[in-house]
Amino acid sequence: MTRTSPIRTAVRVAVVAVLSAAMLVPMYIMVVNAFKPQQEILLSPLGFDLATLTTDHIAAAWQNTSFPVVEGYAVTLFLVLACNVVAIGASVPAAYTIARTPTPLFRFLLFFFVAGMFVPAQIILVPAIFVLKALGLMGTLPGLVLFMSSTMIPFTLFIFSGYIRMLPRSLDEAAAIDGAGRQRILWTIVFPLMRPIVATAFILNALSAWNDFVSPQLILGPGSQFRTITTGVYAAVSTYTTNYEIVFPTLLLAVVPILLIFVLMQRHIMGGLSAGAVKG
Amino acid sequence: MARTTTTRRGVLSGLANGLMTLPAAAVYTGLTVVPVGYAVYYSFTQYNGIPSQAPTWVGWENYARIIADPIGDLRPAAWVTLVIAVVGAFLVNGAALGLALLLRRTTALNTFARAVMFYPHVLSALIVGFLWQAILGPQGAVNNLLENAGRSTWPFLSDPDWALVTLIGVIVWAQFGVQLVLYLAGLQAVSPELQEAARLDGAGGPQVFRHVTWPALAPTVTVTIVTSILSLLKVYDVVLGLTNGGPGDATQTWAYEILAVSFANNKVGLACAQAVLLVVVAGVLSFTIIALRRRAEEGAEAVG
Repeated sequence: MTRTSPIRTAVRVAVVAVLSAAMLVPMYIMVVNAFKPQQEILLSPLGFDLATLTTDHIAAAWQNTSFPVVEGYAVTLFLVLACNVVAIGASVPAAYTIARTPTPLFRFLLFFFVAGMFVPAQIILVPAIFVLKALGLMGTLPGLVLFMSSTMIPFTLFIFSGYIRMLPRSLDEAAAIDGAGRQRILWTIVFPLMRPIVATAFILNALSAWNDFVSPQLILGPGSQFRTITTGVYAAVSTYTTNYEIVFPTLLLAVVPILLIFVLMQRHIMGGLSAGAVKG
Repeated sequence: MARTTTTRRGVLSGLANGLMTLPAAAVYTGLTVVPVGYAVYYSFTQYNGIPSQAPTWVGWENYARIIADPIGDLRPAAWVTLVIAVVGAFLVNGAALGLALLLRRTTALNTFARAVMFYPHVLSALIVGFLWQAILGPQGAVNNLLENAGRSTWPFLSDPDWALVTLIGVIVWAQFGVQLVLYLAGLQAVSPELQEAARLDGAGGPQVFRHVTWPALAPTVTVTIVTSILSLLKVYDVVLGLTNGGPGDATQTWAYEILAVSFANNKVGLACAQAVLLVVVAGVLSFTIIALRRRAEEGAEAVG
Protein backbone atom coordinates (compact mmCIF):
# COMPACT_ATOMS: atom_id res chain seq x y z
CA MET A 1 0.00 0.00 0.00
CA THR A 2 1.44 3.35 -0.96
CA ARG A 3 -0.76 5.58 1.09
CA THR A 4 1.83 7.98 2.43
CA SER A 5 2.22 11.04 0.28
CA PRO A 6 5.76 12.20 -0.59
CA ILE A 7 5.15 15.50 1.23
CA ARG A 8 4.28 13.74 4.48
CA THR A 9 7.35 11.53 4.13
CA ALA A 10 9.49 14.61 3.56
CA VAL A 11 8.07 16.34 6.64
CA ARG A 12 8.62 13.21 8.68
CA VAL A 13 12.24 12.88 7.53
CA ALA A 14 12.87 16.56 8.27
CA VAL A 15 11.39 16.31 11.78
CA VAL A 16 13.44 13.20 12.56
CA ALA A 17 16.61 14.82 11.25
CA VAL A 18 16.09 18.01 13.26
CA LEU A 19 15.31 16.13 16.48
CA SER A 20 18.35 13.87 16.03
CA ALA A 21 20.59 16.88 15.48
CA ALA A 22 19.15 18.54 18.61
CA MET A 23 19.92 15.44 20.68
CA LEU A 24 23.53 15.59 19.52
CA VAL A 25 24.14 19.29 20.28
CA PRO A 26 25.41 18.62 23.86
CA MET A 27 27.93 16.11 22.50
CA TYR A 28 29.07 18.61 19.88
CA ILE A 29 29.55 21.29 22.55
CA MET A 30 31.51 18.88 24.72
CA VAL A 31 33.81 17.65 21.94
CA VAL A 32 34.52 21.07 20.42
CA ASN A 33 35.18 22.80 23.73
CA ALA A 34 37.45 20.05 25.01
CA PHE A 35 40.05 21.35 22.56
CA LYS A 36 39.76 25.06 23.32
CA PRO A 37 41.25 27.39 25.96
CA GLN A 38 38.84 28.91 28.53
CA GLN A 39 38.84 32.32 26.83
CA GLU A 40 37.71 30.81 23.57
CA ILE A 41 35.06 28.63 25.26
CA LEU A 42 33.52 31.73 26.82
CA LEU A 43 33.74 33.85 23.66
CA SER A 44 32.39 31.33 21.19
CA PRO A 45 31.04 28.17 22.77
CA LEU A 46 29.83 26.68 19.49
CA GLY A 47 32.54 27.67 17.05
CA PHE A 48 36.05 26.43 16.64
CA ASP A 49 39.08 28.07 15.20
CA LEU A 50 41.57 25.62 13.76
CA ALA A 51 44.43 27.99 14.63
CA THR A 52 43.76 27.91 18.38
CA LEU A 53 42.71 24.27 18.76
CA THR A 54 44.85 22.65 21.41
CA THR A 55 45.21 19.25 22.99
CA ASP A 56 46.88 20.75 26.08
CA HIS A 57 43.77 20.51 28.22
CA ILE A 58 43.04 16.94 27.20
CA ALA A 59 46.63 16.10 28.14
CA ALA A 60 46.17 17.90 31.48
CA ALA A 61 42.94 16.01 32.17
CA TRP A 62 44.70 12.76 31.30
CA GLN A 63 47.36 13.52 33.92
CA ASN A 64 44.97 14.85 36.56
CA THR A 65 45.70 12.95 39.77
CA SER A 66 42.08 13.33 40.98
CA PHE A 67 40.92 11.22 38.04
CA PRO A 68 43.58 8.70 37.03
CA VAL A 69 42.01 7.82 33.68
CA VAL A 70 43.63 4.46 32.95
CA GLU A 71 43.17 3.15 36.49
CA GLY A 72 39.61 4.51 36.54
CA TYR A 73 38.85 2.47 33.45
CA ALA A 74 40.54 -0.60 34.85
CA VAL A 75 38.59 -0.44 38.12
CA THR A 76 35.29 0.25 36.34
CA LEU A 77 35.84 -2.59 33.88
CA PHE A 78 36.74 -4.89 36.75
CA LEU A 79 33.47 -3.95 38.50
CA VAL A 80 31.45 -4.62 35.34
CA LEU A 81 32.98 -8.08 34.91
CA ALA A 82 33.13 -9.11 38.58
CA CYS A 83 29.55 -8.03 39.34
CA ASN A 84 28.28 -9.89 36.30
CA VAL A 85 30.19 -13.04 37.21
CA VAL A 86 28.76 -12.97 40.74
CA ALA A 87 25.22 -11.95 39.78
CA ILE A 88 24.89 -14.27 36.78
CA GLY A 89 26.87 -17.10 38.37
CA ALA A 90 24.65 -17.06 41.46
CA SER A 91 21.40 -16.47 39.57
CA VAL A 92 21.71 -19.32 37.03
CA PRO A 93 21.55 -22.27 39.50
CA ALA A 94 19.01 -20.50 41.71
CA ALA A 95 16.75 -19.59 38.80
CA TYR A 96 17.07 -23.11 37.39
CA THR A 97 16.07 -24.69 40.70
CA ILE A 98 13.19 -22.26 41.20
CA ALA A 99 11.90 -22.76 37.65
CA ARG A 100 12.10 -26.55 37.85
CA THR A 101 10.72 -27.04 41.38
CA PRO A 102 7.05 -26.04 41.35
CA THR A 103 6.52 -26.25 45.12
CA PRO A 104 5.04 -23.40 47.21
CA LEU A 105 8.39 -22.97 48.97
CA PHE A 106 10.20 -22.17 45.74
CA ARG A 107 7.34 -20.03 44.46
CA PHE A 108 7.72 -18.00 47.65
CA LEU A 109 11.48 -17.88 47.10
CA LEU A 110 10.94 -16.32 43.67
CA PHE A 111 8.63 -13.73 45.20
CA PHE A 112 11.25 -13.07 47.91
CA PHE A 113 13.87 -12.32 45.26
CA VAL A 114 11.56 -10.31 43.00
CA ALA A 115 10.59 -8.02 45.90
CA GLY A 116 14.17 -6.72 45.74
CA MET A 117 13.45 -5.11 42.38
CA PHE A 118 11.39 -2.47 44.20
CA VAL A 119 14.17 -1.53 46.60
CA PRO A 120 16.27 1.29 45.14
CA ALA A 121 19.96 0.42 45.48
CA GLN A 122 21.16 3.84 46.58
CA ILE A 123 18.52 3.97 49.31
CA ILE A 124 19.62 0.80 51.13
CA LEU A 125 23.22 1.83 50.72
CA VAL A 126 23.33 3.54 54.13
CA PRO A 127 22.38 0.42 56.13
CA ALA A 128 24.37 -1.81 53.72
CA ILE A 129 27.46 0.13 54.77
CA PHE A 130 26.96 -1.11 58.34
CA VAL A 131 26.66 -4.71 57.14
CA LEU A 132 29.86 -4.31 55.12
CA LYS A 133 31.59 -2.81 58.18
CA ALA A 134 30.52 -5.81 60.26
CA LEU A 135 31.90 -8.15 57.60
CA GLY A 136 35.16 -6.19 57.42
CA LEU A 137 34.53 -5.45 53.74
CA MET A 138 33.89 -1.72 53.97
CA GLY A 139 36.21 0.28 51.74
CA THR A 140 37.25 -2.77 49.73
CA LEU A 141 36.57 -3.83 46.15
CA PRO A 142 35.11 -7.24 47.18
CA GLY A 143 32.64 -5.44 49.42
CA LEU A 144 31.64 -3.12 46.57
CA VAL A 145 31.28 -6.05 44.15
CA LEU A 146 29.10 -7.98 46.60
CA PHE A 147 26.83 -4.99 47.23
CA MET A 148 26.41 -4.12 43.55
CA SER A 149 25.84 -7.79 42.66
CA SER A 150 23.17 -8.15 45.31
CA THR A 151 21.24 -5.28 43.72
CA MET A 152 21.50 -7.01 40.32
CA ILE A 153 20.39 -10.46 41.47
CA PRO A 154 16.60 -9.82 41.72
CA PHE A 155 16.17 -8.74 38.09
CA THR A 156 18.73 -11.22 36.73
CA LEU A 157 17.14 -14.14 38.57
CA PHE A 158 13.65 -13.04 37.56
CA ILE A 159 14.32 -12.95 33.81
CA PHE A 160 16.37 -16.18 34.02
CA SER A 161 13.64 -18.17 35.76
CA GLY A 162 11.06 -16.91 33.25
CA TYR A 163 13.34 -17.99 30.40
CA ILE A 164 14.15 -21.42 31.84
CA ARG A 165 10.45 -22.09 32.30
CA MET A 166 10.06 -21.77 28.53
CA LEU A 167 12.76 -24.39 27.85
CA PRO A 168 11.23 -27.87 27.47
CA ARG A 169 11.60 -30.05 30.55
CA SER A 170 12.05 -33.11 28.32
CA LEU A 171 15.61 -31.90 27.66
CA ASP A 172 16.54 -32.25 31.33
CA GLU A 173 14.71 -35.55 31.66
CA ALA A 174 16.42 -37.09 28.64
CA ALA A 175 19.81 -36.08 30.02
CA ALA A 176 18.89 -37.42 33.47
CA ILE A 177 17.97 -40.78 31.96
CA ASP A 178 21.37 -40.82 30.27
CA GLY A 179 22.82 -40.50 33.76
CA ALA A 180 23.86 -36.85 33.81
CA GLY A 181 23.86 -35.19 37.24
CA ARG A 182 22.04 -31.96 38.03
CA GLN A 183 25.09 -29.75 37.73
CA ARG A 184 26.00 -31.32 34.41
CA ILE A 185 22.50 -30.89 33.05
CA LEU A 186 22.46 -27.30 34.15
CA TRP A 187 25.84 -26.20 32.86
CA THR A 188 26.18 -28.32 29.69
CA ILE A 189 22.57 -28.40 28.47
CA VAL A 190 20.45 -25.62 29.98
CA PHE A 191 23.05 -22.86 30.35
CA PRO A 192 24.13 -22.88 26.67
CA LEU A 193 20.47 -22.52 25.67
CA MET A 194 20.20 -19.45 27.92
CA ARG A 195 22.71 -17.47 25.88
CA PRO A 196 20.27 -14.74 24.67
CA ILE A 197 18.90 -14.00 28.12
CA VAL A 198 22.38 -14.12 29.68
CA ALA A 199 23.48 -11.56 27.09
CA THR A 200 20.51 -9.35 28.02
CA ALA A 201 21.31 -9.58 31.73
CA PHE A 202 25.00 -8.93 31.08
CA ILE A 203 24.32 -5.79 29.05
CA LEU A 204 21.83 -4.30 31.52
CA ASN A 205 24.00 -5.13 34.55
CA ALA A 206 27.09 -3.80 32.78
CA LEU A 207 25.40 -0.47 32.07
CA SER A 208 24.28 -0.07 35.65
CA ALA A 209 27.69 -1.04 37.05
CA TRP A 210 29.53 1.22 34.61
CA ASN A 211 27.41 4.25 35.48
CA ASP A 212 27.02 3.69 39.22
CA PHE A 213 28.36 6.59 41.21
CA VAL A 214 26.84 6.43 44.68
CA SER A 215 27.90 2.86 45.53
CA PRO A 216 31.63 3.26 44.76
CA GLN A 217 31.67 6.78 46.21
CA LEU A 218 30.23 5.69 49.57
CA ILE A 219 31.59 2.14 49.87
CA LEU A 220 35.13 2.81 48.67
CA GLY A 221 35.10 6.27 50.24
CA PRO A 222 36.33 9.52 48.68
CA GLY A 223 39.86 8.94 49.96
CA SER A 224 40.14 5.48 48.44
CA GLN A 225 43.08 4.48 46.29
CA PHE A 226 40.52 3.06 43.84
CA ARG A 227 38.62 5.44 41.61
CA THR A 228 35.98 4.47 39.10
CA ILE A 229 35.23 6.65 36.10
CA THR A 230 32.29 8.30 37.88
CA THR A 231 34.00 8.89 41.23
CA GLY A 232 37.08 10.12 39.35
CA VAL A 233 35.03 12.61 37.35
CA TYR A 234 33.35 13.79 40.54
CA ALA A 235 36.71 14.31 42.24
CA ALA A 236 38.13 16.16 39.23
CA VAL A 237 35.14 18.31 38.29
CA SER A 238 32.83 18.96 41.25
CA THR A 239 34.86 21.83 42.73
CA TYR A 240 35.75 23.35 39.36
CA THR A 241 32.39 23.36 37.57
CA THR A 242 33.05 26.72 35.91
CA ASN A 243 36.62 25.96 34.88
CA TYR A 244 35.62 24.65 31.49
CA GLU A 245 39.20 23.83 30.57
CA ILE A 246 38.88 21.08 33.15
CA VAL A 247 35.19 20.19 32.76
CA PHE A 248 34.94 19.49 29.03
CA PRO A 249 38.17 17.49 28.55
CA THR A 250 37.50 15.41 31.67
CA LEU A 251 33.94 14.61 30.58
CA LEU A 252 35.17 13.79 27.09
CA LEU A 253 37.72 11.30 28.44
CA ALA A 254 34.99 9.78 30.60
CA VAL A 255 32.41 9.22 27.85
CA VAL A 256 34.40 8.34 24.72
CA PRO A 257 34.81 4.60 25.46
CA ILE A 258 31.21 3.98 26.50
CA LEU A 259 29.97 5.88 23.44
CA LEU A 260 32.27 3.83 21.19
CA ILE A 261 30.97 0.63 22.77
CA PHE A 262 27.43 1.91 22.29
CA VAL A 263 28.00 2.70 18.61
CA LEU A 264 29.50 -0.75 18.02
CA MET A 265 26.94 -2.70 20.05
CA GLN A 266 23.93 -0.42 19.64
CA ARG A 267 21.68 -3.15 18.27
CA HIS A 268 22.51 -5.53 21.12
CA ILE A 269 22.18 -2.92 23.87
CA MET A 270 18.80 -1.59 22.73
CA GLY A 271 17.61 -5.11 21.79
CA GLY A 272 18.71 -6.42 25.18
CA LEU A 273 16.73 -3.71 26.91
CA SER A 274 13.48 -4.49 25.11
CA ALA A 275 14.05 -8.24 25.54
CA GLY A 276 14.51 -7.67 29.29
CA ALA A 277 11.33 -5.61 29.45
CA VAL A 278 9.28 -8.17 27.57
CA LYS A 279 10.51 -10.94 29.84
CA GLY A 280 10.09 -8.73 32.88
CA MET B 1 13.46 -50.46 52.82
CA ALA B 2 12.50 -49.11 49.44
CA ARG B 3 10.58 -46.39 51.23
CA THR B 4 13.58 -45.15 53.21
CA THR B 5 15.61 -44.83 50.00
CA THR B 6 12.95 -42.65 48.39
CA THR B 7 12.70 -40.43 51.47
CA ARG B 8 16.44 -40.23 51.62
CA ARG B 9 16.53 -39.37 47.94
CA GLY B 10 13.85 -36.74 48.63
CA VAL B 11 15.90 -35.22 51.42
CA LEU B 12 19.03 -35.30 49.31
CA SER B 13 17.40 -33.61 46.34
CA GLY B 14 15.85 -31.07 48.68
CA LEU B 15 19.32 -30.41 50.04
CA ALA B 16 20.70 -30.14 46.50
CA ASN B 17 17.93 -27.67 45.63
CA GLY B 18 18.82 -25.65 48.69
CA LEU B 19 22.51 -25.62 47.75
CA MET B 20 21.73 -24.44 44.22
CA THR B 21 19.89 -21.38 45.51
CA LEU B 22 22.36 -20.73 48.33
CA PRO B 23 24.86 -18.36 46.65
CA ALA B 24 22.16 -16.07 45.25
CA ALA B 25 20.17 -16.19 48.49
CA ALA B 26 23.26 -15.47 50.60
CA VAL B 27 24.45 -12.44 48.60
CA TYR B 28 20.93 -11.04 48.20
CA THR B 29 19.96 -11.62 51.81
CA GLY B 30 23.23 -10.32 53.21
CA LEU B 31 23.39 -7.10 51.25
CA THR B 32 19.81 -6.27 50.37
CA VAL B 33 17.40 -7.95 52.79
CA VAL B 34 19.47 -7.52 55.95
CA PRO B 35 20.16 -3.83 55.14
CA VAL B 36 16.43 -3.29 54.65
CA GLY B 37 15.94 -4.85 58.09
CA TYR B 38 18.67 -2.64 59.54
CA ALA B 39 17.10 0.40 57.88
CA VAL B 40 13.79 -0.36 59.56
CA TYR B 41 15.52 -0.87 62.92
CA TYR B 42 17.71 2.25 62.68
CA SER B 43 14.69 4.28 61.59
CA PHE B 44 13.37 3.86 65.15
CA THR B 45 16.64 4.92 66.75
CA GLN B 46 18.89 7.87 67.13
CA TYR B 47 22.26 6.84 65.79
CA ASN B 48 25.23 8.80 64.59
CA GLY B 49 26.86 5.86 62.81
CA ILE B 50 29.94 5.75 65.01
CA PRO B 51 30.65 2.07 65.73
CA SER B 52 31.63 2.64 69.37
CA GLN B 53 28.24 4.19 70.15
CA ALA B 54 25.07 2.16 70.28
CA PRO B 55 21.84 3.29 68.60
CA THR B 56 19.27 4.56 71.15
CA TRP B 57 15.67 3.47 70.65
CA VAL B 58 13.43 6.52 70.12
CA GLY B 59 10.28 4.93 68.72
CA TRP B 60 8.48 6.91 66.03
CA GLU B 61 10.47 10.09 66.69
CA ASN B 62 12.26 10.12 63.33
CA TYR B 63 8.99 9.65 61.48
CA ALA B 64 7.34 12.35 63.59
CA ARG B 65 10.29 14.63 62.80
CA ILE B 66 9.80 14.01 59.07
CA ILE B 67 6.07 14.75 59.23
CA ALA B 68 6.32 17.78 61.55
CA ASP B 69 9.36 19.04 59.60
CA PRO B 70 10.52 21.65 62.17
CA ILE B 71 13.36 23.00 60.01
CA GLY B 72 11.14 23.11 56.94
CA ASP B 73 13.62 21.30 54.70
CA LEU B 74 11.80 18.03 54.09
CA ARG B 75 8.50 19.31 52.75
CA PRO B 76 10.22 21.12 49.86
CA ALA B 77 12.23 17.96 49.15
CA ALA B 78 9.07 15.84 49.09
CA TRP B 79 7.42 18.40 46.82
CA VAL B 80 10.40 18.55 44.44
CA THR B 81 10.51 14.75 44.26
CA LEU B 82 6.77 14.55 43.62
CA VAL B 83 6.93 17.16 40.85
CA ILE B 84 9.88 15.37 39.23
CA ALA B 85 8.10 12.00 39.42
CA VAL B 86 4.73 13.17 38.09
CA VAL B 87 5.77 15.79 35.52
CA GLY B 88 8.84 13.78 34.55
CA ALA B 89 6.84 10.59 34.01
CA PHE B 90 4.33 12.43 31.80
CA LEU B 91 7.03 14.10 29.72
CA VAL B 92 9.24 11.00 29.44
CA ASN B 93 6.33 8.84 28.34
CA GLY B 94 4.85 11.50 26.06
CA ALA B 95 8.16 12.08 24.30
CA ALA B 96 8.88 8.36 24.10
CA LEU B 97 5.47 7.43 22.69
CA GLY B 98 5.46 10.31 20.20
CA LEU B 99 8.90 9.40 18.92
CA ALA B 100 8.10 5.69 18.86
CA LEU B 101 5.18 6.42 16.52
CA LEU B 102 7.41 8.67 14.44
CA LEU B 103 10.30 6.18 14.27
CA ARG B 104 8.16 3.08 13.99
CA ARG B 105 9.15 2.04 10.50
CA THR B 106 12.60 0.56 10.12
CA THR B 107 14.48 2.81 7.72
CA ALA B 108 18.16 3.71 7.83
CA LEU B 109 17.36 7.20 9.14
CA ASN B 110 15.00 5.86 11.81
CA THR B 111 17.53 3.30 13.03
CA PHE B 112 20.10 6.07 13.34
CA ALA B 113 17.59 8.36 15.07
CA ARG B 114 16.63 5.65 17.60
CA ALA B 115 20.28 5.28 18.59
CA VAL B 116 20.66 9.06 18.85
CA MET B 117 17.59 9.30 21.10
CA PHE B 118 18.89 6.51 23.29
CA TYR B 119 22.55 7.41 23.71
CA PRO B 120 22.17 9.71 26.79
CA HIS B 121 21.11 6.64 28.74
CA VAL B 122 24.52 5.00 28.36
CA LEU B 123 26.17 8.06 29.96
CA SER B 124 26.21 8.14 33.72
CA ALA B 125 23.64 10.51 35.23
CA LEU B 126 26.39 12.35 37.10
CA ILE B 127 28.21 13.12 33.84
CA VAL B 128 24.94 14.18 32.20
CA GLY B 129 24.48 16.60 35.11
CA PHE B 130 27.98 18.09 34.80
CA LEU B 131 27.64 18.40 31.02
CA TRP B 132 24.35 20.31 31.18
CA GLN B 133 25.70 22.44 34.02
CA ALA B 134 28.45 23.51 31.62
CA ILE B 135 25.88 24.25 28.92
CA LEU B 136 23.13 25.96 30.96
CA GLY B 137 25.05 27.35 33.95
CA PRO B 138 25.32 31.12 34.55
CA GLN B 139 28.56 31.15 32.53
CA GLY B 140 27.64 28.18 30.40
CA ALA B 141 27.56 27.89 26.64
CA VAL B 142 23.99 29.12 26.10
CA ASN B 143 24.29 32.16 28.32
CA ASN B 144 27.60 33.09 26.72
CA LEU B 145 25.98 32.95 23.32
CA LEU B 146 23.16 35.20 24.56
CA GLU B 147 25.59 37.60 26.17
CA ASN B 148 27.83 37.77 23.12
CA ALA B 149 24.75 38.53 21.03
CA GLY B 150 24.01 41.44 23.35
CA ARG B 151 20.98 39.87 25.01
CA SER B 152 20.21 39.28 28.64
CA THR B 153 21.08 35.88 30.08
CA TRP B 154 18.59 33.25 31.23
CA PRO B 155 18.67 31.94 34.82
CA PHE B 156 18.38 28.22 33.87
CA LEU B 157 20.12 27.11 37.02
CA SER B 158 20.32 30.25 39.16
CA ASP B 159 16.59 30.89 39.68
CA PRO B 160 14.83 28.38 41.96
CA ASP B 161 11.80 27.83 39.70
CA TRP B 162 13.87 27.73 36.54
CA ALA B 163 16.30 25.28 38.13
CA LEU B 164 13.57 22.73 38.83
CA VAL B 165 12.23 23.04 35.29
CA THR B 166 15.77 22.71 33.89
CA LEU B 167 16.42 19.68 36.07
CA ILE B 168 13.26 17.97 34.82
CA GLY B 169 14.19 18.84 31.24
CA VAL B 170 17.65 17.30 31.63
CA ILE B 171 16.22 14.17 33.27
CA VAL B 172 13.72 13.77 30.43
CA TRP B 173 16.51 14.26 27.86
CA ALA B 174 18.54 11.52 29.54
CA GLN B 175 15.74 9.03 30.19
CA PHE B 176 13.11 8.99 27.46
CA GLY B 177 15.31 6.85 25.19
CA VAL B 178 14.77 3.83 27.43
CA GLN B 179 11.00 4.20 27.31
CA LEU B 180 11.26 4.81 23.55
CA VAL B 181 12.86 1.39 23.09
CA LEU B 182 10.10 -0.19 25.19
CA TYR B 183 7.36 1.55 23.17
CA LEU B 184 8.99 0.45 19.89
CA ALA B 185 9.00 -3.13 21.15
CA GLY B 186 5.36 -2.75 22.22
CA LEU B 187 4.36 -1.32 18.85
CA GLN B 188 5.80 -4.37 17.11
CA ALA B 189 3.29 -6.48 18.99
CA VAL B 190 0.32 -4.46 17.70
CA SER B 191 -1.36 -6.51 15.03
CA PRO B 192 -0.85 -4.86 11.60
CA GLU B 193 -3.91 -6.70 10.23
CA LEU B 194 -6.12 -5.07 12.82
CA GLN B 195 -4.79 -1.60 11.98
CA GLU B 196 -5.20 -2.29 8.28
CA ALA B 197 -8.76 -3.49 8.86
CA ALA B 198 -9.57 -0.33 10.82
CA ARG B 199 -8.16 1.79 7.99
CA LEU B 200 -10.19 -0.09 5.39
CA ASP B 201 -13.26 0.60 7.52
CA GLY B 202 -12.50 4.27 7.02
CA ALA B 203 -10.75 5.13 10.29
CA GLY B 204 -8.26 8.01 10.07
CA GLY B 205 -4.80 8.00 11.66
CA PRO B 206 -5.90 9.41 15.04
CA GLN B 207 -8.87 7.03 15.20
CA VAL B 208 -6.71 3.99 14.47
CA PHE B 209 -4.37 5.13 17.22
CA ARG B 210 -7.15 5.69 19.73
CA HIS B 211 -9.12 2.53 19.13
CA VAL B 212 -6.50 0.01 18.04
CA THR B 213 -2.90 1.01 18.76
CA TRP B 214 -3.35 2.66 22.16
CA PRO B 215 -5.46 -0.13 23.74
CA ALA B 216 -3.05 -2.76 22.38
CA LEU B 217 -0.13 -0.86 23.94
CA ALA B 218 -1.68 -1.02 27.43
CA PRO B 219 0.77 -3.58 28.94
CA THR B 220 3.73 -1.57 27.61
CA VAL B 221 2.30 1.63 29.06
CA THR B 222 2.06 0.00 32.49
CA VAL B 223 5.69 -1.11 32.35
CA THR B 224 6.95 2.27 31.13
CA ILE B 225 4.97 4.27 33.70
CA VAL B 226 6.07 2.08 36.62
CA THR B 227 9.74 1.93 35.58
CA SER B 228 9.93 5.66 34.88
CA ILE B 229 8.28 6.63 38.18
CA LEU B 230 10.52 4.23 40.12
CA SER B 231 13.64 5.74 38.61
CA LEU B 232 12.36 9.34 38.96
CA LEU B 233 11.61 8.90 42.67
CA LYS B 234 15.27 8.18 43.44
CA VAL B 235 16.90 10.86 41.29
CA TYR B 236 20.23 11.80 42.85
CA ASP B 237 23.33 11.67 40.62
CA VAL B 238 22.04 14.11 38.02
CA VAL B 239 21.12 16.60 40.77
CA LEU B 240 24.62 16.37 42.19
CA GLY B 241 26.14 17.18 38.81
CA LEU B 242 23.66 19.77 37.61
CA THR B 243 22.73 21.91 40.63
CA ASN B 244 24.05 20.20 43.76
CA GLY B 245 20.55 20.77 45.17
CA GLY B 246 20.58 24.51 44.62
CA PRO B 247 19.95 27.32 44.34
CA GLY B 248 19.09 27.11 48.04
CA ASP B 249 17.13 23.90 48.37
CA ALA B 250 15.19 24.35 45.13
CA THR B 251 16.31 21.07 43.57
CA GLN B 252 17.00 18.94 46.63
CA THR B 253 15.27 15.63 46.01
CA TRP B 254 14.31 13.07 48.65
CA ALA B 255 17.31 10.90 47.76
CA TYR B 256 19.51 14.01 48.04
CA GLU B 257 18.12 14.61 51.56
CA ILE B 258 18.91 11.01 52.54
CA LEU B 259 22.45 10.83 51.18
CA ALA B 260 23.80 14.37 51.04
CA VAL B 261 22.03 15.87 54.06
CA SER B 262 20.98 13.31 56.70
CA PHE B 263 23.63 10.64 56.15
CA ALA B 264 26.35 13.18 55.44
CA ASN B 265 25.56 14.81 58.81
CA ASN B 266 25.72 11.45 60.63
CA LYS B 267 21.96 11.34 61.20
CA VAL B 268 21.73 7.65 60.38
CA GLY B 269 18.39 7.10 62.14
CA LEU B 270 16.74 9.94 60.24
CA ALA B 271 18.32 8.88 56.94
CA CYS B 272 16.97 5.36 57.43
CA ALA B 273 13.48 6.60 58.28
CA GLN B 274 13.53 8.68 55.10
CA ALA B 275 14.75 5.66 53.11
CA VAL B 276 12.04 3.40 54.54
CA LEU B 277 9.37 5.98 53.65
CA LEU B 278 10.68 6.21 50.09
CA VAL B 279 10.66 2.43 49.62
CA VAL B 280 7.10 2.27 51.01
CA VAL B 281 5.90 5.10 48.76
CA ALA B 282 7.60 3.52 45.72
CA GLY B 283 6.02 0.15 46.49
CA VAL B 284 2.54 1.53 47.14
CA LEU B 285 2.68 3.66 43.98
CA SER B 286 3.86 0.75 41.81
CA PHE B 287 1.19 -1.62 43.05
CA THR B 288 -1.53 1.04 42.77
CA ILE B 289 -0.55 1.80 39.18
CA ILE B 290 -0.37 -1.90 38.31
CA ALA B 291 -3.80 -2.48 39.87
CA LEU B 292 -5.32 0.56 38.14
CA ARG B 293 -3.86 -0.51 34.81
CA ARG B 294 -5.27 -4.03 35.02
CA ARG B 295 -8.57 -2.93 33.44
CA ALA B 296 -6.79 -1.28 30.52
CA GLU B 297 -4.66 -4.38 30.04
CA GLU B 298 -7.70 -6.64 29.92
CA GLY B 299 -8.91 -4.40 27.11
CA ALA B 300 -5.57 -5.00 25.37
CA GLU B 301 -6.14 -8.74 25.40
CA ALA B 302 -9.51 -8.19 23.75
CA VAL B 303 -7.89 -6.09 21.02
CA GLY B 304 -4.73 -8.15 20.57
